[in-house]
Amino acid sequence: MLAAAALLLALQAPGTRLTYRVAVVERIGAESNVLASGSVSGALDTDLRFALRTDSVDIEALFQVTAEEGGGADTVTLSAEFFTKRRLGRSRRGLPLWEQDSYRRVVRLAWSDTARIHPFGRPRPDAPRGLWIALVLERGFAGGEARPGEELRLVDPTIDLRLEAVVRPRRARVIFNLVRGDTVSAPVGMDLVPDAPPRRMQLVLAGRRTALEVGLARPEAAASARDRVLALDADVVCLRVGAAGAALPVGVLCGRLNNVARRLPLWAGDTLLATFVWPSAR
Amino acid sequence: MSEGHDLWLRQIDAELDGELSLIEQAALAKHLASCSHCSGARASQLEVRVALARSAGNAHARVVPRPAIRGRALAFWVALALVAGGAAGWLAHSRWGGPGPGSLEDARAAIAVP
Repeated sequence: MLAAAALLLALQAPGTRLTYRVAVVERIGAESNVLASGSVSGALDTDLRFALRTDSVDIEALFQVTAEEGGGADTVTLSAEFFTKRRLGRSRRGLPLWEQDSYRRVVRLAWSDTARIHPFGRPRPDAPRGLWIALVLERGFAGGEARPGEELRLVDPTIDLRLEAVVRPRRARVIFNLVRGDTVSAPVGMDLVPDAPPRRMQLVLAGRRTALEVGLARPEAAASARDRVLALDADVVCLRVGAAGAALPVGVLCGRLNNVARRLPLWAGDTLLATFVWPSAR
Repeated sequence: MSEGHDLWLRQIDAELDGELSLIEQAALAKHLASCSHCSGARASQLEVRVALARSAGNAHARVVPRPAIRGRALAFWVALALVAGGAAGWLAHSRWGGPGPGSLEDARAAIAVP
């Protein structure tokens, strides 16, 4: 128990940075070549969204690192949610037919060990050629760098590979404006934490004060299997807006942290503008 | 049509195929002399058989030649059907594809660690 707590503390320490190092390797005969390489790094809760596309196969996966109770400090559990599509042929009307599959893989490995991922299944020993993904998990000191990072180098330009850092916001900066006709209030910015109790705020428009209670929540699980598996809504937050002191919310605004202003009609011709952005790095 | 007529019509068939004994032929001839329906049916049967014999290229046939399927011809047609079916399957697979070889699990990604 103590060891697990120590491990969790060690893994969640703010100064630790996780790096996924990825290389796509092709073997033809006895010769192996790296077609592409890259890395994704960030805090320890950073996930890696991986996509490899060919004419006939789409492989997308979300890799996550979790610390488990009872594990040694030198090992880590790597889980991967795969979402794959294989082209089977064409329909009678000439449209492509795809076979879609989703599944999960979990392995335990040591930090800095190389996991070999065979995206098309385990190859036959006598296969003349093969392709795999080498994945190395590294941890190091952040050195004050908290932002996620991505790096991709394509040796073979024909390969369609994407590596993305997936980070779920621990807090979000929301900039509020009140709008009525052509008049806009001064902006009010707040750092909100998802699922925290609602906070009061006040906007002043043409000398009139409007008090609101605002709170941030995570969105409902995505309806699409692909969106769920690949955590495509990882940076989506939902803002609940209510009148100060009222029990029921006036409305809910959901959106990505992408600096886009979203509108929510209030009362008496007022419209609330809410802009979700990533908070500045601390 | 009565059951008696059905019996005589079968006898007419057998007679035209040359399968009746002399006694049966005599009994049929006696019935035909008194039954216009059966004699008309016999004439129709004969006309049909003449037409069939002519279409088979033998206008002077004594009996209608029965189609005979020889073993070699049967084997040929069975083989032809198999080849045509296989070719159609191959064409359909190349055109529209199929589930592919191997099990689903074999086609899924695998992670190997040292």
